[in-house]
Amino acid sequence: MQLQQALPELLTKIADDELIIGHRNSEWTGLGPVMEEDIAFSSMAQDKIGHAWALYRILQEHFGGGDPDHFAFMRQAGEYKCCHFVELPIGSYEFSLMRHFLFDHAETVRYQSFAQSSFVPLQQLAGKIKGELKYHTLHADAWILQLCTAGEDSRQRMQHALDQCFQLAGGIFEPGAGEALLIAEKVYPGEEALCEQWLKNISHVIEKAGLRLPQMTTPVYGGRTGQHTQHLQQLLNEMGEVFRLDPEATW
Amino acid sequence: MYGGGYIYDDPNRSRQQEEQLVDDPVKLAAFEARITRGEKIEPGDWMPAEYRRQLIRLIEQHAHSEVIGALPEGTWITRAPGFKRKLALIAKVQDEIGHGQLLYNAAETLGKSREAMINDLLSGKSKYSNVFNYPAETWADVTVIGFLIDAAAIVNQVANSKGSYGPYCRALERICYEESFHLKQGHDAFIELATGTPAQKAILQDALNRWWQPIMHFFGPPDKVSSHSEKLMQWKVKMASNDDMRNQFLDAYVPKIWELGLTLPDPSLKKDKETGKWEYSDPDWELFFEVIKGNGPCNKERLNVRKWAEEHGRWIRKALMREDERARTALPVA
Amino acid sequence: MNESLDPRVNRLRLNNSDGSFTIEEGENWNVFEVFHQEKRGAHHEHVGCVHAPDANLALIFAKEQFGRRKKCVNLWVVRSADILAFDLEDEDMFANNPDKTYRDASGFKVMEKINKFKAQSK
Repeated sequence: MQLQQALPELLTKIADDELIIGHRNSEWTGLGPVMEEDIAFSSMAQDKIGHAWALYRILQEHFGGGDPDHFAFMRQAGEYKCCHFVELPIGSYEFSLMRHFLFDHAETVRYQSFAQSSFVPLQQLAGKIKGELKYHTLHADAWILQLCTAGEDSRQRMQHALDQCFQLAGGIFEPGAGEALLIAEKVYPGEEALCEQWLKNISHVIEKAGLRLPQMTTPVYGGRTGQHTQHLQQLLNEMGEVFRLDPEATW
Repeated sequence: MYGGGYIYDDPNRSRQQEEQLVDDPVKLAAFEARITRGEKIEPGDWMPAEYRRQLIRLIEQHAHSEVIGALPEGTWITRAPGFKRKLALIAKVQDEIGHGQLLYNAAETLGKSREAMINDLLSGKSKYSNVFNYPAETWADVTVIGFLIDAAAIVNQVANSKGSYGPYCRALERICYEESFHLKQGHDAFIELATGTPAQKAILQDALNRWWQPIMHFFGPPDKVSSHSEKLMQWKVKMASNDDMRNQFLDAYVPKIWELGLTLPDPSLKKDKETGKWEYSDPDWELFFEVIKGNGPCNKERLNVRKWAEEHGRWIRKALMREDERARTALPVA
Repeated sequence: MNESLDPRVNRLRLNNSDGSFTIEEGENWNVFEVFHQEKRGAHHEHVGCVHAPDANLALIFAKEQFGRRKKCVNLWVVRSADILAFDLEDEDMFANNPDKTYRDASGFKVMEKINKFKAQSK
């Protein structure tokens, strides 16, 4: 595989993750547990969708990719490279919060590595969104710590959410075909290295919160090769519904 | 968004405005002189009981309207076509929640807790703008809401921002600032459809036809039947009459609709060149009151969704209620 | 249950919450006043308040509710209960006494004195 293939594959999977989790989290807008949190969570969902948009624009500009709107909203499910973790419906708030915690720490580790990337557009993007990610993990850590130290019932709920999420979160780091090349070319250090750093970062918070970190025994892979849960198709139908009324029109 | 000229009052209370007459006459005179001089009233100030009651009612219903108003458009977040529209829509719906937050805080300075207001919303005791009891059926509905309902809301809110109660005015100042973004993004999305393909024009015209009556209802019943108190005007709680606001809205926005080649479903709609006033057929006011009573197409769903949100957030709120902190719970001071 | 036009309502069965539901007094936590600094060197100005369980989350909430649009470089939060203010009746304490001109620049007629001196020296 060549860098001209490996790079777009990397960009696509990150962008697809952010597009889908951004959509999922945006569903909480107007339904959050308290108004202040509703606003904060919605901002972060917007950030995620914004990051996806920025990555699709890099694809368009540097790799001859299609119009970001068409690419984001008009592909077939099999062409998406997102992991299963981001596809699941929002569920309960503890599930969404835990997903936000695990995903945003993974994203932070990823973009921190991009700050040293040999691929300049990624390096620039990492610089631009550094502050956003800092807020996202600050927010996530504060919630995890608060809820886990607020009594046995809420700690158990959070533990259950962590158990529910953990193997799925492993899917974020599913190895890709062009990885060796991307590592050699210093685009980024590869999924294994990112996963290791991620585990280190979340362990710190999880320990402070008094939660038990499960073993990563069976990470849920498949998304990076285009295999998805049934939930993705359902969401894609919605996402493209208006667009498909007339794909040639501008909206 | 969305105050609307019409503020629901419990029918049994409508005759009790005389209550204020029992207020201390010296304090009342000083209070009224302050308002006449154009000064604002602040939370800790003495105020007539009826002034406090009317303001709580007004601000609370405005807050409910924001929070419920987030639902019909929130429906379309996942479906919004393209990145720009999608992000603008999420940001806009988020603003509605933000406005609700600001307004509940303003109302809380008058002594009613946010919890009590939410409970009155869920039980149906306290109302919100009728316009959100109609469904947003297509993407074009979102553009009609974003353009015309926000425009109507701005007319109302700009008027109210000149009222006499400091915290409400300050909240409205920020709200109006954000509304200018809402109106612009709504107008932009509206124009996109109006100048687009025949199919786009058709769904927009259809949405406009369906929304016109709720929009005409927005400012409340005509002045000739709506009993608005002179006291509320004098106290600068109500800042403009329903008909005046409606006229102002029609004057500013009907030309913007007509210039795009769209029509409105009212053959009598025209401006009287001599008086400068708009003429229109009376919308169905019986329907208006039916919807307020809870019989509109979406009343039930809106409240159920709100209940779901409150129910699912409960464990989180309760987990973080700390007894030692609760003892020190206070309402906003400014 | 009727199908809603809102896919989110159908997916999450949001429309199932029949029956009454009330929240408890205090469920929306405490109130914190928020102060916003627009740029370094400027004063922090009061902009509103947030409900939060503690100051830590109050700051996190304030960041999005009050810092997401207008320029902002820093925020303060303080519990509303800790704010002390004067009553309206005490407004008279602040009335400017016209006799206290010694506190104002206008209380010192420097030019008059210079001009008088110049006129005399001629």
